[in-house]
Amino acid sequence: MAISLRNLSVNYSLQQGTAHALRGVSLDIEKGQMHGLVGESGSGKSTVAFALMGLLANNANVTSGTATIEGKSFDLTKRNATADLRGRGMAMIFQDPMLSLNPVFTIGTQLCEVLRRRTPGSDRKTQGAMAEDALAKVRLSNPGRRMNQYPHELSGGMRQRVVIAMALLSEPALLIADEPTTALDVTVEAQIMREIIGLRDRIGCAVLLITHSLGLVTEYCDAISVLYAGEKLESGTVRQVQRQPGHPYTRMLFDCEVPIDRERHADASQNRFTVIAGDLPDPRRRPPGCIFNARCDVSFEDCAVVSPGDYPVRNDDSHSARCLRLATP
Amino acid sequence: MTDAISISNAELRFGETAALDGVSLTIPQGTCFGIVGESGSGKTTLMRAVLGLQKLDQGEICVLGNPLVPGRAALKQRASFIQPIFQDPAASLSPRSRISTMMNEVGTVLREPHAALFERLGVILNRLGLPQSVIEKYPHEISGGQARRVAIARALLMKPSILIADEPTAGLDVSVQGDLLNLLQDIRQSDNITLVIISHNLAIVRLIAENAVVMRSGKVVEGGEVGSLFKSPREAYTCELLAAWPSVTRAPALNR
Repeated sequence: MAISLRNLSVNYSLQQGTAHALRGVSLDIEKGQMHGLVGESGSGKSTVAFALMGLLANNANVTSGTATIEGKSFDLTKRNATADLRGRGMAMIFQDPMLSLNPVFTIGTQLCEVLRRRTPGSDRKTQGAMAEDALAKVRLSNPGRRMNQYPHELSGGMRQRVVIAMALLSEPALLIADEPTTALDVTVEAQIMREIIGLRDRIGCAVLLITHSLGLVTEYCDAISVLYAGEKLESGTVRQVQRQPGHPYTRMLFDCEVPIDRERHADASQNRFTVIAGDLPDPRRRPPGCIFNARCDVSFEDCAVVSPGDYPVRNDDSHSARCLRLATP
Repeated sequence: MTDAISISNAELRFGETAALDGVSLTIPQGTCFGIVGESGSGKTTLMRAVLGLQKLDQGEICVLGNPLVPGRAALKQRASFIQPIFQDPAASLSPRSRISTMMNEVGTVLREPHAALFERLGVILNRLGLPQSVIEKYPHEISGGQARRVAIARALLMKPSILIADEPTAGLDVSVQGDLLNLLQDIRQSDNITLVIISHNLAIVRLIAENAVVMRSGKVVEGGEVGSLFKSPREAYTCELLAAWPSVTRAPALNR
C-alpha cells in the first residue's frame, strides 16, 4: 500500500461560522495506480489535496487525519506535517500551469531548482542536462530552447508539460493532479493525460487525479472515490463503480455525463440534458441522516435520520458506498 | 427570411498570425448554431467580430441583413438585438458594483423606467433559478454558476433576438451544466432566439445545435448539419477532435 489517508476532517473558520469542508474522508491509493477523486465544486476535492500537501489557507483547521506515505505516518493535524515530503515525496500539478510557474524565471531555472532540492551536491551542468532530458521525456518540442524561455512564451499545454517535467524530476511517491486538464483543449487534454500516465509508469508513483470529469476517470483511472459535500460516498475500482454504482449520487453523476454518441432528437431544440436537482447542503450545518438525502431520488424515511455507514457493494470488499439501501437488515 | 448572421470571407490578422482566414458562414434565424474548435482556432475572435468589438481586415458581416457599421451609436443600437455571454462570467461583471447597478445600465440603454425593468428582471431571475436577493450582491459573493446565470439574465434583459454564448458550460459541474443547457433550450423555444454556441464540448454542440462548423487556425475546415457532421466527419481534424473526447462508455448495468 503506497499511500493511505485516514479520517481526514477539515474545517474552515469563516465570518458566518465554521464550514466543515471535509468529514472523515479516507482514501487508499495503490502504488503505480491512478486514483480518481470526483465531485462537484464545493465538495472538498481540492481541500484533500491541499491538506496532504500542507497548502491549506490560514483559516483552515485540520481536526483529524493521518497520512501514511511509503511506510511513514504523518499527523496532518500538525502544521507543516508533510513539509519534508514537498518536492521529494509528493508533487502536485495544478489546474492553472501559469500559477505554478514563476513568471520571472526561465523554465530551466525553475526545473533546476527542483533538482537542487532533490539531488543536493550535483553540479549545475548535470542538473541542466537532467532538466533538459525531463523536458524531452514529456515530449516538449525543442527542449534545449525551452530551457531559456519564460512561462509566458509557452502555450497552456506546453506549460502543463513543464509542470509535469518538474514532477518527473522530483520523483515523488505520490503525484497529485488537481484538474490538470480543465484549462486545456480536448486534443491537448488527451496528450497531457498520456504524459501523466507515462510519468506514473516511469517512476511507479501513485497518482491522485482530482477532477469533475467522469469521462477522464473512466478512461484513465484504476480506482475512483466520489466526494459529496465533504464526505466520501463511494469508492471502488472504476470497473465496479461504473458497472454498478452503489450510491444513487454516483449513478446520477454518470447519467449527467453527455456521451458523444447519445441518441439525438431530430429537432435539436427537443434535446434535454440530465441534471441533479437541488443544491449542496450548507457546509456549516450538516443535515441529519444521509448527506445526499435532499437530492436523492430513491430515499426513504430512514435516510433523513440514520447516518449511513460504509457498506460493501455486492459483497465486494474493495467496493463500498455510504447508502442505507445497501445495509442488510 | 433574412439570415440572423451572415459572414462572407472574413479575414483578420494579428501580426503574423491569421486569426480569421477567409471565414464564410450563414446562420439562419431561430436556429442554434455551434462553432467548435480548439483554443486559438479563432472562435472567440469570430464572436467579437460579429459583435462589432473587433474590426475585420477584410470581408463583411451582416446581422439580420444589415452590414455592421462602426461607431458607438451603431454598437449601442446593435446591443438591442444581439447579446453576448462571455466565457468568463466573473470577468464580465464589474467587481466594484452590485449586480443591481449593472442591471440598471440595461435600463439606461433601453430607456426603460426603473420599476418596469426590475419587474422584468424579477421574472427572468425566477426563470434562471436565481434568488431575488442576488441583485443586492457583489460578484465576488456569488458562485461561478450563479455568476454565469447573472450574465445570462443581463443578456436576456436586453430582449435580444440573437444570443451568442462563448463556452457557456466551461468550468461548470456536470450537474449544473445540464441545468444551464436546458435553460438555453427553453429560452430558444419560448422567445424564438437565434442561439450561437461557441464550445469545445463536442457532445453538447451535437445535441443542442442544428448546424455547426469546425474551426482550425482561423479557417472553417468543415461544416454542415450536426447529425451528419459528427456521424461521418470528412476532415481528419474533426475525426481527431472526436477521438480525443473522453467517453463514459458505460458497461451494461447488471441489474438496474
